Formats: sequence, structure tokens, C-alpha cells
Amino acid sequence: MLQARKNRLWKFFIILFMSAGGILLILFSLNSKLDLFFTPSEMLKADIKPGYRIKLGGMVKSGSIIRDGTKIKFIATDFVKEVPVIFDGIPPDLFKEDSGVVVLGYFLDGMFEAEEIFAKHDENYMPPELSIEAAEI
Amino acid sequence: MIGEISHFLSLSAVVILSLILIFNFFFFFGKIHPNQLSLSIRLFNQACWLVFISFAMYVYLAINDDFSIAYIASHSNSQLPIFYKISSIWSAHEGSMFLWTVFLTAWSIFFINSLDDSHFLKKTTLLMVSLIILGFLLFLLLTSNPFERVLPFGAIEGADINPVLQDPALAIHPPMLYLGYVGFVISFSYITAYLFHGNFELEWEKDIKNWSLVAWIFLTIGIALGSWWAYYELGWGGYWFWDPVENVALMPWLAATAFMHSLYASSKSSVLKTWTMFLGILIFALSLFGAFIVRSGIIDSVHSFANDPQRGLYLLIFSGLITLLALGVFAYRIPSLNASKFVVSGSKESFLSMNNILMVTSIFSIFLGVTYPLIIEAINGEKVSIGPPYYNTIFTPLVLITAIFIMASVDSLWQRSKPIKSYVYKTFFPVILSILFTYFVWHITETFSILSYIGIFSGSLILFTYLLRVLNNFFYKKFINKGSAVAHIGLGLLFLAVSLNSILSYEKNLNLAPGESIFVNESIKEFSFDDIKVLKASNHDVISVEVSLLQDGKNIFLNPQKRKYATRGQITTESSIYTSILKDTYLTIGDQLENGSWTFALKINYFIKWIWFSASLMVMGMLITIFKKIAT
Repeated sequence: MLQARKNRLWKFFIILFMSAGGILLILFSLNSKLDLFFTPSEMLKADIKPGYRIKLGGMVKSGSIIRDGTKIKFIATDFVKEVPVIFDGIPPDLFKEDSGVVVLGYFLDGMFEAEEIFAKHDENYMPPELSIEAAEI
Repeated sequence: MIGEISHFLSLSAVVILSLILIFNFFFFFGKIHPNQLSLSIRLFNQACWLVFISFAMYVYLAINDDFSIAYIASHSNSQLPIFYKISSIWSAHEGSMFLWTVFLTAWSIFFINSLDDSHFLKKTTLLMVSLIILGFLLFLLLTSNPFERVLPFGAIEGADINPVLQDPALAIHPPMLYLGYVGFVISFSYITAYLFHGNFELEWEKDIKNWSLVAWIFLTIGIALGSWWAYYELGWGGYWFWDPVENVALMPWLAATAFMHSLYASSKSSVLKTWTMFLGILIFALSLFGAFIVRSGIIDSVHSFANDPQRGLYLLIFSGLITLLALGVFAYRIPSLNASKFVVSGSKESFLSMNNILMVTSIFSIFLGVTYPLIIEAINGEKVSIGPPYYNTIFTPLVLITAIFIMASVDSLWQRSKPIKSYVYKTFFPVILSILFTYFVWHITETFSILSYIGIFSGSLILFTYLLRVLNNFFYKKFINKGSAVAHIGLGLLFLAVSLNSILSYEKNLNLAPGESIFVNESIKEFSFDDIKVLKASNHDVISVEVSLLQDGKNIFLNPQKRKYATRGQITTESSIYTSILKDTYLTIGDQLENGSWTFALKINYFIKWIWFSASLMVMGMLITIFKKIAT
């Protein structure tokens, strides 16, 4: 084989190796940094390890919001199963009873501890899974 | 009636643009007719003017409250000031798409007419932009028609603009952003035309350079304004959320930044030509991808418009075809393009290309972050989302490597390498100063986060490198590229501000009754809830709270509000911000509890204003570069 060609082959392998390494690193980072999304029924069915951060999407059950100082407790429901949620802080403006909510946090001993509450900038928002289920009911 | 005329003018533009494409297509096979180009240009200009006039009429309709038009009826209101009546046009999908198309047309008409009639690429570029404008006009008219009427009886009153959008920064943010997004249609069409043409002896960089720089400025301002608005208006106190829609704006920005750097290298020493062309195509392709992500509703995000699979499909097919066309020609021409010179390692070009690679890596990582949830959902139906931790871990090492290469490139030479020893000498002071600064931050904060400290080190590395250069320039009259220095000082400050913000900022949730006052921490010795009032404003009720703080020995008064809008029943939070050089004191009110007390969120955001200051430095650096170029 010609020397020039050999060199080119080497370069090719080095680039291939490095980009494969880079992609692997990115994928590794992705896997440990992503948040799985559940509805209450899915979450109760799935076996979630404590300390594993997840997203829970549901509707705020009517009459379930209890405020205690800066803490807020409410029940997230998908009209099948219910999960009590606790949050310390101020929820977004669109957080209210009977409307959609997505919380990010940890599920521990039957209680969801939320780090963050998301609500959409649309008063009629419902998580897509729920709108399908709600239509069925 | 005016609505119909406006609609009709847009339709006529579609017809004319199609005519241009059709008759040029037929001429393609026959002999070239002498008047072919001048006729195309004339028709093209007319089509563009039709679009402008149509939009002007639409603005007129919005100002005059024509609520028989469905879009205006559901997004405007007769009580709004004129400014917001106009900005309500781009407050939702249909109107903002209209604005997008108008800007696309505006860039195109300016660019095409700036080219000489004898310019070898004028015709092909014209056909490319006609095709793209036509595609977007058809998208507008077929899937998201802003002219639709409510017949036989129109609404008496409009449903009002979303109150969080009723804000000067947000009225300007979309136009700026769109001007940036679609501005790269010029580099895209021109490069594609150049590749079609196939004579690679001819120069191409200088025709599109300034256009791309101006588009970059708009894009930067657009992104910065959006982030600033989110900070003070949404009441979350953050400036960047790695939301999919923010990400799809960041990708073209990174590509555009890489493009400008490699354009600089390729016009200085004719290296990296192929690569620069690829980037020029990539920017607009990423803008199109962004439009698809935002407007198809495929990803849940605060920005996404209503779900409509039909729109998503159209955009996907259209942008796919356009991108495929450009990349196809590119791939076809690669063998004949390879003639450009090699990059000498250790030269300025080599560092520029390294940073280019890093920017493309970041684009790829963001792209993966945006699409990964879609891929996972398609494969096994699991729903996942990717948040800030992913981006922080990916970006921090990239930022560090970028900083090191920027530092090295400042003193390097075009086309030549320099002995390693001279680098050691030049980089000694910035490195030492950055280490000292990082240690200093650690010493006073005593909190540790590896990612933030890497960010602080990288930021100060860039900052000190350039500051030393500025001093050198000042005292020894050594040469300095002023635009580049200002922009890179901006970048260094940005890294610093973001990292310092992430380790120093904190947040306290408080619960107080009116008249009560409490101790928060050593810095805020007293937080008193002085008064609460309920007021009436033109279209909303206000709960206005007066709070006074004794912060660092100074008395501060804050006045956060909660508003309830009459027409939509929507509640918004108005934050109250006190800014000092180092930090913002940011206060929002929450809810009233049963015992009559209220909740407050108090956020102390360090260095947050510096983030936008550094963005404006980057814009300023770019302006200096442009004016210097025009002057010489």
C-alpha cells in the first residue's frame, strides 16, 4: 500500500474513533440526565427507585389544594389513580384546580416531592396523554 | 373588503412567483433569452411589493379593529393601544408566519437588487429565493390563513392579546428573531446558486459577508430580548431554561457564529472554503428545522403553537426538500471544490477551525437533546424530557476547550505556526490571573460546583487574554482587532456571569401577613410587608403590594403585583426588581392563605444583568467590524 494511502487510512480511523467516543459520551450524558414522564397510573405501576428524578403529569384534583405557609399540597390525578404532591414555593400563575400540571421531582413513600411545577401558557392546556384519556371517559 | 384585497394580493404574489419559476424552468432547456433576467427581476420585485402591501393592509385592519377577521378577533381587542394592536399580529401562529414571510421577502428583495444585473449568480439566486418565498406563502395561505373571515357576522369585540405578551420587549422580540432567522436565506440561496453555477474560480465571500453579519446581529438581539423578557415578565426569575424552542434558536445562532469565523478565515487566506459553504447552508436549514419544531407542536414547550399535524407535515416536507436540494448540490460539487489550500497546524486558521468544530459539536449536542425524546418515544413509547443538567454537563467542557483555543488564537498568525515557547510567554499571565480569580471566587463564596468553576475559569481566561491585549494596545500601540476584542470580551463576560449567577444566586420563599416584618438573612436584615391595595386598571384588576427591605444597610422599596385580566380571566404575576451592579433583588407575590397572610418568592440573582450586557457587547463588536469594513 502506498504510504500516502496508509496515512489517510490512519487519519480516517482516528477521526472515526474520536467521533464515536464523542457520541458515546453524549449518549451517556443523555441517559443519566433525562427525566422520564409518567401519568399517575403509570408511575404507580412502574417501580421507581427513590432518588430517581421524574416528571409527573396530571390534573390538579378539585378541592385538593392545601396551603401551609409557603408549602403547597395537592393531588395530581389522571381520573384513574391519584398521587399526593408536595411543593415548597410559589406555583406558576396557571396552576389551579381542575387544570393540567406537570411536576418535576422525586417519588418517595407514596408522596411526590416536587422541585418544580410547570404550567403551560395556555389556560386550556392538558398533558396530551390525559386529553386522550379524558376524551375516553 | 380590505381583508379580501389583502388576501388577494398575497395570492397574486403566489401566482407571480410560480410564473417566474415556471418560465425560467422552460427557458432552462431552450436558448437563453436576452430579456429573461430583466423580466424575472421585474416580476420578482412586483411579487415582493404585493406581499408588503398585503401586510401593510393587514396591519391597517388590525389597527382598525376588523374583528370579522378570525385571527384579529381572537388576538386583539379594541381597548389595546395601537402599538399592541400591531404587535398582536405576531402573537400567535398565523400572523407570526405572515411576518416571517414578509421579512423573508424583504431580505430577498434588498439582496437581489443590490447585485449587479451582470452578476453571474443573480438569476440563480433569484430563483432560489423565489422558491423559498413561494413555499412559505403557500404554507401561510393553505394551512394557516390569517385572512379567514367569520361570516356572516363578525365578533363585536376581540378576545384580547395574551397579557404576558403585552409588553414592549416581547413586541420587539419576535420581529428581531425572525429578521435574524430569515436573514440567512441570503447565504443559503447564494451559496446554493454558486454551487449550481459550478465556476469555483470566482469569489463569493464578499457579496454575502455583511448581510450575514447583520442577520447575526438581529438573531443575537432577538434571543437576548426573549431571555430578558422571560426574566422579568414570567416571574420565574430565570433567563434561560433550555426549552426546546430556545434550543432551536440557539442552534442557528451557533452555526451563524461558526460561519462568520470561518468566512473570515476563508476570505483571509482561502482555506476552509468548502466548510464555510456547508455552514452557510446549515444556518438556514437549522432555522427551517426550528420553524418545524415550534409550529408543528411536535414538542411540548411554553412557546409551541397549537397542535396541527398538517402544518408540521407541510413544513417538514418543504424544509426537507429545500435543504436536500442545497446539500445535494453541495455533495455533487465536493470533488471539484477540494482544491482549496490546507490549514497549517498552529496557525490562526487552525484555531479557528478547532473552534468551528466545537461549535458544530454543540449544535449536534443540542440537536440530539431536542430530538432524543422524539426518538425514544417513537421507539418504545416512553416519554422523557431533557433538562438543564444534560446541557450543563455537555457544554462546560466545550466552553473550557473553546476558551483555551480562543486564548491561543489571539496571538497566532495567519497561515504560519509559531514556536510553542512564544505561546507559553503570552498565555502565562491570563492563565495565572484566571486561576487567581477562580480561587478568589471560591474563597469568598465557599460553595463548590465543578461545572461552575470550570465556567468561571474559562470566562476569565477569555476576559484576561483580551483585556491584556487592550492594555498592550493602549500603552504600546500594538495592533488589536477592535471588533473582535469587544465581542470576545462580551463572550468571556457571558461565561463568567452565567457561572457566577449559578453559584451565588439563591431564593427564599416567605410567608407574611400585611404589616409584619421578618429577618431573612445576614444580607437582608429586614423584610417588611407594608401595604396591600386592590386597584382597577383599564383592562385588568391589580393587587399591588408594597414591600420594603433593609438590604446591605440600604432601604429598598419593591412593588410586585398580581393582575387579573378581564377578557381572558387570566392571572399574571408582575415581578418587582431592584438592580444594583452585582445583583438583582427579585420579588414576586404568590397566593393569599386562609389566615390572610401572603406568600412571596424572593430571589437574589447575582450578575444576571451582566448576561444581557455581554450580549450587547457582542453585538457592539459585530457593529464595529461591519463599520470598519464599510469604512475601508
